[in-house]
Amino acid sequence: MTTIDTAPSTTNLTDMVSRPGRTATALTVRQVRRGAALVAVLAAAMSALVAGTHASTVSSPAQAEALAALAGNPAIRTLFGEPTDLADPGGFTVWRTGIFLAVLIGAWTLLATTRITRGEEDAGRVDLLLSGPLTARHLLRRQLVVLLTAAAIAGAAATVALLVAGTDPAGAVVHGSGLALIGMFFAGTGALTAQVFTARSAATGGAVAVLAVGLMLRMVGDGAPQLGWVRWLTPFGLTGLSRPYDTNRWLPLLVLAAATAAVTVAAVLAGRRDVRGGWVTPAAGRPPRFALLGSVPAFALRRMLRPLAGWATGIGAYFLLIGLIAESMITFLADNPHFADLAARAGFAGLDAVEGYAATLFALLALPVSGFATARITALHADETGRRWTLLCAGPRTRRSAAGAEVLITTAGSVALTLVAGAAVAAGAVVSGAPLSLTEALAGALNVLPVALLGLGAAVLALGVAPQFIGWIAALPTVGGFLLLILADSIDAPAWIAKLSPFAHLARVPAEGPQVTAAAIMLLLGGIGCVVGLATYGRRDLAT
Amino acid sequence: MSAAAVRTDNLTKHYGAVRALDQLDLHVAAGEVFGFLGPNGAGKSTTIRLLLGLARPTAGTAHLFGIPSSDVAVTHRRLAYVPADVALWPQLTGAEILELLARTGPGTDRAYQAELVDRFSLDPNKPARTYSTGNRQKVALVAAFATRAPLLILDEPTSGLDPLMEREFRTAVREACDRGQTVFLSSHQLAEVEAVCDRVAILRTGQLAEVATVNDLRRLHRTEIEVSFTGAQPDLSTVTGVDDIDTVAAGRIRFSLTGPPAPALKALAAADVATLSVREPSLEEIFLGYYGEAGR
Repeated sequence: MTTIDTAPSTTNLTDMVSRPGRTATALTVRQVRRGAALVAVLAAAMSALVAGTHASTVSSPAQAEALAALAGNPAIRTLFGEPTDLADPGGFTVWRTGIFLAVLIGAWTLLATTRITRGEEDAGRVDLLLSGPLTARHLLRRQLVVLLTAAAIAGAAATVALLVAGTDPAGAVVHGSGLALIGMFFAGTGALTAQVFTARSAATGGAVAVLAVGLMLRMVGDGAPQLGWVRWLTPFGLTGLSRPYDTNRWLPLLVLAAATAAVTVAAVLAGRRDVRGGWVTPAAGRPPRFALLGSVPAFALRRMLRPLAGWATGIGAYFLLIGLIAESMITFLADNPHFADLAARAGFAGLDAVEGYAATLFALLALPVSGFATARITALHADETGRRWTLLCAGPRTRRSAAGAEVLITTAGSVALTLVAGAAVAAGAVVSGAPLSLTEALAGALNVLPVALLGLGAAVLALGVAPQFIGWIAALPTVGGFLLLILADSIDAPAWIAKLSPFAHLARVPAEGPQVTAAAIMLLLGGIGCVVGLATYGRRDLAT
Repeated sequence: MSAAAVRTDNLTKHYGAVRALDQLDLHVAAGEVFGFLGPNGAGKSTTIRLLLGLARPTAGTAHLFGIPSSDVAVTHRRLAYVPADVALWPQLTGAEILELLARTGPGTDRAYQAELVDRFSLDPNKPARTYSTGNRQKVALVAAFATRAPLLILDEPTSGLDPLMEREFRTAVREACDRGQTVFLSSHQLAEVEAVCDRVAILRTGQLAEVATVNDLRRLHRTEIEVSFTGAQPDLSTVTGVDDIDTVAAGRIRFSLTGPPAPALKALAAADVATLSVREPSLEEIFLGYYGEAGR
């Protein structure tokens, strides 16, 4: 009693007044440090690896010439951007990894930003934090400082890696600054959409839309020289215009910095709002929509439709592009037999025919499709830990059948995405005049479905036995298998190591017939994963 | 119906080293309104999760209407559940959630559902993300009461309700009871339990401390008696069950009584009692007595 009754000493008061900001920073750092470290390590590792192997990739002037011809092809330019000096290890690295790293850093920062701002607010955890001396705008500023720093670290990591690899310092600094600014721009964008929209999903969707449109504008600007000016309108175009290891222009980066400052300031200003409120508030009420509420599978379908539409749009757009540039790529490879030879020796035979080209690119489809499936199983587990699932489990059904319905609907969604990709390639091929039929395109797309379903099986198995690791376990056969194959190829590992990857057992459909046995084994393993996972799920305690 | 609505035998649940529930034996007859009391962390929600088959017991068994609680596809046809902390899909409106639960549940009386929506003053057109704790609870309560399932398992269902809605809740429990439904009510609202429950169980650190009717509980516990008299001061110090004798004023004493009152009344007979007041303890006093005295 006596200790409580005495007035707090002045030192205690000072501590209480000065700490909330620091506490907010410390909390934000905890929330993003793992992802930030992973992104920075990836940026550094990829840059160093590509720059370090440049000498072996481009060993002769003839190869450099062929590479320049490839990079100058409009189709390749659309995908990889306008090439700079490919004979320079730095310029080559920027060409090979620049767009990928920019999208990676941009996507991570925007997801992290909406997660820790609107996501925490959605979950109601911010209310508790703001009941103390910390104000909402103060918290947002602290969060932005941490996120902008994380983006800067990712860019700096690429710069340091390129400097260590011995590339030109000026180019390394321009490239790293561009990457950092992309991350910062999307931190600001994510923070702004988080102020505008009242739900995390809407905030993330808005920021992802900005990223997608920015990427598309960059593709248009790089692919069609007469529209090159549109690159000034997108962060990805601006970093391309800075031309690292070539002219090292700072003006585009200054424009990007100004845009970043503008969105960040806009986000801070938009922070003048009610906690849990926003600038676009959804209608307070609406008439009920009773469709797809009649059974557990129907309800699973209802919850899947919106995310499925999002994934289908992304996958459809990418594979439409693949179809659109098919004719140009095939013509290029037919005109440059030297290149087709090189590709064939690297294991990409038949690229100069549309069937081989399509088969090679369809292999990539397994990754987003299994990503979709993993996201659905993760969402199911989130419904479980969020206790929404409890009400359905209290109904007259076993947990195994309830989760089984989700798995079934997710499988159907995966098949739908695969068909969308096949149809999109076929549509693009029709427009570009490449001789690829719809049947061939669909066969090529469906050929990779067993790999994606193997990933789904791993996700369901994880749901039953180790639900906190769904993402990692599900990624093992798909992302893990993909990386294993690439790694095994580049370090000349024994054949059996590469054979561990599901991708090693994919036939090049439609260039050749499917490997029915391999597909059946993958489907069987995926099925076993689902059955064991669901059985375990039915027996384990529901997490609440 | 001969089988008990709820029966647990030696029901035990450990979470690692923590004994959440220890050898619980319960028997709830069909048609009973059964109160389930205990402080936070006593094991009430754990018991309910085991009854619902959402978690598996470490030892012992639970049966609902004679069917093992692990057979959820069968037991859940005969029960409706309101969780302690209701979480709903944020994008669905109240009406959509009621539709979902009605069509995937054990069967719902739609007319009664509409009546309950009205009585609980629930705005069903709002998306669940805009609902307060109380409104989310109302959605789950309306869904559960409208099922007419033979067993209603309610886990602290009124913690977010205002007094008006609390009254509606009590009415709905009585209506359920009149229809012959069994109600298993876990609650902290002792006045509510006192008002609606036939019997109560008191749980303490995972163990059953007491099961009795509310009246028996009172009888088992101390009754406070105050008498005024015109005769000689009665000597109660040796009477069994009498404690805390206190002389309030001349010719007026107060004492507490445990157990049957006959010996005390005999001792008072000689004192020419003028007035006698008996105050039974409230459930709250009994409850506090359990946890205050014995600690946790």
